[in-house]
Amino acid sequence: MRGLATGLALAAMLLGGPASACDNPRQMPGFKTCADVAKAEREGGLVVYTTDPEDGTAQLLAAFHQAFPGVSTNYIRLQAGALYAKLMSERQAHSYLVDAIELSDMGFVLDFQKRGGYAQYVSPEMTAYNAQYKSQPEGFWTWGAVIMAAIAYNPKIVPPDQAPKTWQDVLDPKWTDGVSVKVSNSGLEHETWFELRRLYGEEYWTKFAELKPRAFDSYVQQYDRAVNGQDKIIHTAQYSGYLQFKAKGAPIAFVYPDAGLPAGPEVWGLVADGPHPEAARLYMDWFLSVGGQKAYGDALFLNSVRADVPPPPGGVQASQLKLLFPADWQTFLASRTQFARFWDKMTGLR
Amino acid sequence: MSGEAPRIEVEGLGVRYAEVAAVEGVGFAVARGELVTLLGPSGCGKTTTLRAIAGLEQPSAGNIRLAGRTVYSAAERRNVPAERRGVSMVFQSYAIWPHMTVFENVAYGLRVRRLAKAEIERSVGRALDLVQMQALAGRPASRLSGGQQQRVAVARAIAFEPEVLLFDEPLSNLDARLRAAMRLELRELQRRLGITALYVTHDQEEALAISDRVIVMNAGRIEQEGTPEEIYARPCSRFVADFVGAANLIPGRVRDIGHFEAAGGLLLPLPSSRPPRGDETTLALRTAYITLLADATQAPDTARGVIHRRMFHGDFIQYVVDWPAGQLIVRRPPTELFAEGAAVTIAFAPEHCVLL
Amino acid sequence: MTAPALLLCGCLVLYPVFFLLQESLNAGDPMQFPPLQYGLDNFRAIPDDARVIGNTALVALLATGMAIAFGFVLAWILTRTVIPGRRLLERLMELPYYMTPLVGALAWGVLAGPKTGFINQLWHALGGGGDLVNVYSPLGIAWVMALFEGTVAFVMIAAAMKSMDPSLEESSRVLGAGKLRTTLMVTLPLVAPGVLSAAVFVFAEMLGAFAAAFVLGIPGRFFVITTAIWEATLSYPPDYGRAAALGLSLFAVMLLTLSLARLIMRRGSFATISGKAFRPRAVSVGRLRWALLAICWAYVALAVILPLAALLLTSLQSFATVFLAQSRFTFDNYRAALQMGALGLAFTNSLILGLAVASIGALVTFVLVWIIYRSRAPGRGLLEYVVMFPQAVPRMVFGLGLLWAWVNIPLPIYGTLWLLGLAYLTVFLPLGLRTLAGVVLQVDRGLEECARVCGASWARQMRTVTLPLLRPGLVAAWVLVFIASVRELGVSIFLMGPNSKVIAPAIVNAWLSSSAGLSSAMALLQTGTVFAGLVLLLVLFRSLGRETA
Repeated sequence: MRGLATGLALAAMLLGGPASACDNPRQMPGFKTCADVAKAEREGGLVVYTTDPEDGTAQLLAAFHQAFPGVSTNYIRLQAGALYAKLMSERQAHSYLVDAIELSDMGFVLDFQKRGGYAQYVSPEMTAYNAQYKSQPEGFWTWGAVIMAAIAYNPKIVPPDQAPKTWQDVLDPKWTDGVSVKVSNSGLEHETWFELRRLYGEEYWTKFAELKPRAFDSYVQQYDRAVNGQDKIIHTAQYSGYLQFKAKGAPIAFVYPDAGLPAGPEVWGLVADGPHPEAARLYMDWFLSVGGQKAYGDALFLNSVRADVPPPPGGVQASQLKLLFPADWQTFLASRTQFARFWDKMTGLR
Repeated sequence: MSGEAPRIEVEGLGVRYAEVAAVEGVGFAVARGELVTLLGPSGCGKTTTLRAIAGLEQPSAGNIRLAGRTVYSAAERRNVPAERRGVSMVFQSYAIWPHMTVFENVAYGLRVRRLAKAEIERSVGRALDLVQMQALAGRPASRLSGGQQQRVAVARAIAFEPEVLLFDEPLSNLDARLRAAMRLELRELQRRLGITALYVTHDQEEALAISDRVIVMNAGRIEQEGTPEEIYARPCSRFVADFVGAANLIPGRVRDIGHFEAAGGLLLPLPSSRPPRGDETTLALRTAYITLLADATQAPDTARGVIHRRMFHGDFIQYVVDWPAGQLIVRRPPTELFAEGAAVTIAFAPEHCVLL
Repeated sequence: MTAPALLLCGCLVLYPVFFLLQESLNAGDPMQFPPLQYGLDNFRAIPDDARVIGNTALVALLATGMAIAFGFVLAWILTRTVIPGRRLLERLMELPYYMTPLVGALAWGVLAGPKTGFINQLWHALGGGGDLVNVYSPLGIAWVMALFEGTVAFVMIAAAMKSMDPSLEESSRVLGAGKLRTTLMVTLPLVAPGVLSAAVFVFAEMLGAFAAAFVLGIPGRFFVITTAIWEATLSYPPDYGRAAALGLSLFAVMLLTLSLARLIMRRGSFATISGKAFRPRAVSVGRLRWALLAICWAYVALAVILPLAALLLTSLQSFATVFLAQSRFTFDNYRAALQMGALGLAFTNSLILGLAVASIGALVTFVLVWIIYRSRAPGRGLLEYVVMFPQAVPRMVFGLGLLWAWVNIPLPIYGTLWLLGLAYLTVFLPLGLRTLAGVVLQVDRGLEECARVCGASWARQMRTVTLPLLRPGLVAAWVLVFIASVRELGVSIFLMGPNSKVIAPAIVNAWLSSSAGLSSAMALLQTGTVFAGLVLLLVLFRSLGRETA
C-alpha cells in the first residue's frame, strides 16, 4: 500500500501535478485529509492569525480541538493592517510562528502570495469550491467565507418608518454624527466604497463625509453602539454581525438595499515555513469541509461559499442575497491608496 | 514672690496614650521668676507634662492654670488651644523654620501679635543681641549650625517677652562642652529677664546646676520635689538617690534608733535629727561624702577597707573599695591617690546617711 | 566589577533605544530593517502632528493637576488629621494602583459614556436633559488618568508630609499663630518642594500614559502621542518612522521633566535628612472629620467601587441597552471569556513572568545596589544612570524599540516569554533599584563593617548581615516588580506572540473586537484573579518581611 502510494506520488510529481496534492486522502469523520494525523498530533500545536472577533475564533478553534484533542490551538487577533504588518515583520526576521492566516483584504492576500508567503497545499476539500473562490494556481488560499455589508439600526431608537431603505437614504443630513463605519484597514469597507462609488459616483462619498461618521476596528463595536444608542445607524453593517446580535436577542434590524450588498472574501491560507505543517494541513482540510464550515458559521455567523453548507444560524444562504463583487480585483487593489487616504481624512485619523 | 499667684499651677494632671498613663497625678506650682526643672529618665512623663502645659497634648484629668487663668480643666471641659495660652517654648529639635531667615524666624511671634514694623525690628534686634546672633540676622535658617539654631530658637522664644518660657531638653543635641557653656547662658538670660521658666531635662547635672527647684519624675509620677541641695543630700527614694548624683545603696536593716546593720555585721551610724521609722531596708550614702584616710584610726564612724579598683576621671578619682559590707564606690579629688590593694580607713558623717 | 555590569545593563537598555533612533531616521521603506535610506523626514513631519502633541500636553496637564489635587488632599487628611478608620483607608488607597488605568478606563467608559453611561442614564431618569458627563473627551481621559495616578501622587506627597518635623508647626502654634496661619506660613512652604517634585514626576508619567487615552480617546478621534504611535503601527505599511520620531520626541520631553523633578527635589527640599522618622502629630478637627472621611471614601468609591460595580453590571448583560430594564442578564459573557482562555494562557504567562522577573530582578537589583551604593568601584555613577534610564522612556516607545531590536538579531526569542521577560526586567530595574536603594541608604554601614571586623568573609558578611538587614527592602522590591509585571501593557503590546500572551494586552485586544459585556467580563475575571493572587502573596511576604523590623 505504501509502495503504491509513493509510486503514484512520484508519478504525479513527474507529471507536473499540483505541488502538495495527495492521491490517497484519509477519510476522517465528515472530511478527507491528506495530512498525517499522527504526525499532526505529535506536532501538538496550531497557530492561527485572524482578523475575526476573538470569541468567535476561540469557539471555532475549540470545535477543531474537540475533533482532534491532540492538537492544541492558539491564535492572535488583530486588525487587518496590524496583522499583516506583524506577519511581514516576523517573516523578515525569519521568525516563523504562525501556521494559518485569515485575511479579508484581497490586496494583502495577493501581495502575500506574490511574496511566496503562502504554503501551497491542495486540500481534497478544495474540489467543492468553485474556481472563483480559490487561488490560481490552486492551493495557496481559499475563500473561507463570504462577508457582505448593508445597513443596520436599532428599531427601538430609530422608528422603522424613518429608517433608511436604500443606500441613498443614508445621505440624509438627519443622520449626521450618528453613523458608524469601519476603519480603512477593513477589506469590506474598501469593497463597499468601491462598489458604491461605481453605482453612485464620487458625490456619494463626498456627501457621506458630511455626516461625520465614526470609524471602528470591529463590527462588534459598531453593533454594540447601535444597540446601546450611541450611534443611530450602522453603515457597512456586516451581515454576520447582524446575525450575531440578533441571536443574543438585541433589538437590531437589517436593511437589504435593492441595489445590492457589497461583498468580499474572508481568505484563509496556510503560511509557508510554519512551525506545525502537518497540523496546519489537517486544520485546512477540516476547515474547508462541510463540518468545519458549519462550525465557522456557528461561531461567527459567517456564510460559506460552499453550496452544501447550511446558512449561519438565523440567516439565509449567500446565494439568496444580491451580492456585489468588484468586477476586476486588480483595479480594485489599485484603488487602495486613494481609498485609504480619503477614508482616513473622512474619519479624522490624521 | 509674696502672695502673688504662681505663674504655673498644675493639679492632678493625667495624660493617657491609648491604654497607658503617661502622666498621672502630677501637681506642682512655679512661682514668678523661678526656674523649675522636671528631671527624669526618658519615658517618665516630663516632656508630656511640659507639652500639656503648652497646650500640645490633650490631658485626661486635672487642672492647669497660668497666672491664675485656667487653661485646662477636666471638670469644666475647658482646653484653651496652644496659640492662645501665651506661653513660649524652646523645642528639643529647635524647630527653626528652614524656609525663613533668622530674622523672620525670630520675628514670627511678634508678627502674629501684629506689632508695628519698627517695634518688631527693635525686639528682634534685642533678642538676637541677647543670644549674640545679631550678625547673622539675614542668613537663611537652613544654613545654621546646631549651636546657632539653638540660639535662634531661644531668641525667637523670648522676642515677644513672654511671662512663661518652657524648655524641652534644649541642650540635649549639643556636645558636652557647648552644653556646659549654654546652660550658664540660659540661666543668666532667665535671671536677667526675670522670666518664669519650666525646664525639662534628663541630665541631672544640668538640673542641679541651673534650677531653683527640681522635680524628679519617674513612670509618670513625681518622686520628689525640692531644691537641688535637698534632692541631692536627702533623696526620699532609691530612685532619686540613684538617679541624682552617684550614691551607694547599702542593703540591711535598722538595728536601733542610732544604727543600721549592713551585711557582714557592719553597723552604720544614723543621724539623730532624723529618727528612723524602723522598716527601712536601704541606706544611701553619696560617693562624694565618703573620705578615705591612709592611716588606721580607731575613731568612731569609721571602717577599714581595701582599694579594689581605681579609675581616673580627670576631675575626680573613683575608687571601688572592698569593705565588710561588700563594695563601696568612693569619689575623691584627683590629689588623693591610693594604690590598688592598699588598706584604707573609710570615714563619713552620720548626717550623710539617708535611710530609704 | 562595574565593567561587566555596565556592559550588560548598557546592552539591555541602550540597544533598543539605538534601534529607535535608527528607525526614526528611516526615510525610505518603513518595512526595511535596517533602513535603506536615512533622512530627517520623520522629524520634519512632526509639526504635522501638532494637534496630537497639543492634545498630549493638554491631557497631561489636566491629569497632573487633578492627580496632585487628589493626592494632596488625601495625603493631608490621612497623615495630619484624626479621622476614624484611618488605617483602613490608608490600605484602601493602594487599590486603584492594582486596578490599573486600563480597567478603570473600560469601567468609566461604561459609567460615564454619552447617552448610555450609567451616570447619564440616572441623569435622564431624574429628568435632566442631554448628557451630564461625557468621559470620551480630553477631560474624561484626564479624569480617569488622575483617578488612578492619584495614588502615586498620594504616596509621594504623604512621604513628604511625613518627613516634616511636627515641632515646626507646634512652635508656630505656641508662638500664637492659629491653625490656618500655621498652615499657610509654615506647613505649605515646607511641603511645597515635595509636592512640586511629585507634580513633575506625575506629569512625566502622564505624557507616556496609554491605556486611558486608548479606550476613551480613539472612539472620539482624539489622539495623544502614545495612541498615535499605536495607530501608526496598525496600518499596512506601518508608519514606523513617524512612530519612532514621535516616540523619541516624547522621550526627550520626559527626560527633561524627570531631570527637572530630581533637581527640584535635591535643591529645594527642606526635609531634615537626619534620618529620623517623624511621627506626624495628627490634629483633631472636630466635627469636620466626618466631611473629611466622606472625601476619602468618595475617592475610593470613584476609583474602585463604582468602576467595579459598573463592570460587573455590564458583564452580566447580554447587550448594553439604554434602558437597564430592557437588558437581558446572562452568564454567557463569562462562559465565552473562559472559553477564550482568558484565564488560561494569558494569566499563566503573566504569573510566570511576574514570578520570574521579580525574583531575578530582586537578585540583580541587589547586586546593582551593592555596586552603586556600597562599593567604591569606579563608574558606579554611570551605572546608576544607565540602569535608571528606562524610566524616561515611555513604555510604548521602549516596546517599539525592543521589537525592532530583538526581531533583528539571530536569537530566536521573538514571540516567546523570554523576550517579554527581558523587556520587563529592563523597564522594571529602575523600580527595584529605587525601592531597594531607599532601604540600603538607611542601613548603617557600621553594621556590616562590624561583621567584617569580627572575621567574617565578604560572602559570609553578605549572607548573615547584609541580606537579612535588607530583607524588607528586597521583599518590597519583589512585590512591586511583581505587581508591575502583571499589569504591564505598553511594552507587552508589541512583543506579544501567540504563545506569549499576557493579561493587559489580551484585555485590550479583546476589547477591540468584543462587545462591552464580554470585555467587562474578561477584565473582571483577570483583575479579580490577579488581585486574589496578590493578596495571597502579600500576606505571605509581609510575614517574611516583618521579621526584620
